[in-house]
Amino acid sequence: MTATSVPLQTAPPRPATPRWYADAGGVLAASSMLVVVALWVGNRGLQDFGMTSLGRLTGLIASDLLLLQVLLMARIPLVERAFGQDRLARWHRWTGFSSFWLMVVHIVTITLGYAAAANANVFGELWDMIWTYPGMLLATAGTLLLVLVVVTSIRAARRKLRYESWHLLHLYAYLGVGLALPHQIWTGTDFVGSAASRAYWWTLYLVSAGAVLVYRIGLPAWRNWRHRLVVTRVVPEGPGLTSVYLTGQRLGELPARAGQFFQWRFLDGAGWTRANPYSLSATPNGDQLRITVKDLGDGSSRVARLQPGTKVLVEGPYGKLTGETYTGGPVVLLACGIGVTPLLSLLGELAYAPGEATLIYRARTESELAFREELEWFATHRGVRIVTLLGPRGPQASWLPGNLAGHTDALPRIVPEITGAHVYVCGPEAWTESARAAALAAGVGADRLHTELFSW
Amino acid sequence: MRRITLWMLSTVAALVLLFSYRTSTNSAATAATTSVVTTGDGTSYTGDTASTRWGDVQVRITVADGKITAVTVPVYPSENGRDREINATAIPQLVQETLAAQSAKIDTVSGATVTSDGYLESLQSALDAAHLS
Repeated sequence: MTATSVPLQTAPPRPATPRWYADAGGVLAASSMLVVVALWVGNRGLQDFGMTSLGRLTGLIASDLLLLQVLLMARIPLVERAFGQDRLARWHRWTGFSSFWLMVVHIVTITLGYAAAANANVFGELWDMIWTYPGMLLATAGTLLLVLVVVTSIRAARRKLRYESWHLLHLYAYLGVGLALPHQIWTGTDFVGSAASRAYWWTLYLVSAGAVLVYRIGLPAWRNWRHRLVVTRVVPEGPGLTSVYLTGQRLGELPARAGQFFQWRFLDGAGWTRANPYSLSATPNGDQLRITVKDLGDGSSRVARLQPGTKVLVEGPYGKLTGETYTGGPVVLLACGIGVTPLLSLLGELAYAPGEATLIYRARTESELAFREELEWFATHRGVRIVTLLGPRGPQASWLPGNLAGHTDALPRIVPEITGAHVYVCGPEAWTESARAAALAAGVGADRLHTELFSW
Repeated sequence: MRRITLWMLSTVAALVLLFSYRTSTNSAATAATTSVVTTGDGTSYTGDTASTRWGDVQVRITVADGKITAVTVPVYPSENGRDREINATAIPQLVQETLAAQSAKIDTVSGATVTSDGYLESLQSALDAAHLS
């Protein structure tokens, strides 16, 4: 990597994400929950309170959460820009497990309630419900699929599975959610009697399915067809690091910003179906894109063997670690290891004055520091202060090397102007957490503290 | 065959089988028409079959001298234990109310709204056939 290929042009900045995006998302999610609870109250949920009524309520909330989960992962641009994918993925996991347990409560309470009303044996009643109630066989199959998805997503099981297998199994959740719909419409007390609530429920399901089709399949397909990315150069950057340069058609119209990432699929043979998230490691300049990949095993070692001309499929751009709210003034970038890549692209885009930007770069050893020439270029031409923090981790969790971990005031001592600065953090999860904590402790406002986890 | 092909084939097969089961499609039963049978006790009028979410309901009334003298419900939802339980109490109640009111202007039975609605629909067609209001 030579300094001459550092992109000088900055991409035309996209307008900042309006603050109301997050409000709208939150209000819509809360309203959907309110509607189902109101339906339950309106259909004598409170007056008839008992096992069956509780079963209805948990069933309604569980299915609403299932739909919210689908929407959280549907890559809807408004949602992505408002919350960021790392947060959405965490919420997805949380709502997933909550809806699963509510579904379990729903099944148990409905069975107990119906069995008590019919004076029947609980297991006999369950058997009877599965085989004779409208849509219940489908719902049973749907439940089994959701159980499969939850079991394979428990961390211990998840680690044992190949990503491809886990992902394929996870797709059965869509089928599970869909199969659960008929029994709600055909037997649910809150839907049987009311055409309006049936219409509402259908709309919710169709909107969720539509969002997945449009934003997870349609939009990426259209972007790939339009931009047709290909590999132009593959450059070794240092031990285990490889940069890939790509070009394509009409790249200036690809709405990517510095600091964002794509899901990448290189069409270089078997195994291409697995997508990997890599950040842009250079500012997108309308002609080329660059990513830098660290060899972590699985898919990433293939990147070093890519040939120029290889076709590439992407999903994205995603990510909130952008300069869209930066309007000048001091800026501090905290990088750990390969986390430096999105920050490097931000260094090229942000409009800071000489002396205003500081990059704090954490690595275990000096040989693990990457992009030296490029960083020197930024130091010389843009007046960026580069601070490297070298050394192994200490026993306690800290963003500092072990020998410095006791210095809780290290951040304001390295960067006295930190309080008024925009701060960008990228690195492994635990490190990012403690770097965030240090920045907050130094008085950085949460609205100026930007982080993105690249492992989730 | 590749494993992915096998997976997809099995998934489609399982779905086809699931949807072949009778509770997995929402097919409405065809409505039977009214029928009239005269016996010594009066004339029987059988109402249309009303399809409900839980099954069909059909009401038969016996009319003598312009009065409803008997009501029977030959068809009502009894597919599962819960339906049988609910309707065992709801149907005598509906019959009783019909005989008392001599019309379809009766209250639905709470907890058996679906059957009640079907009952009223079928009763009304039987009343229409008997030219009673």
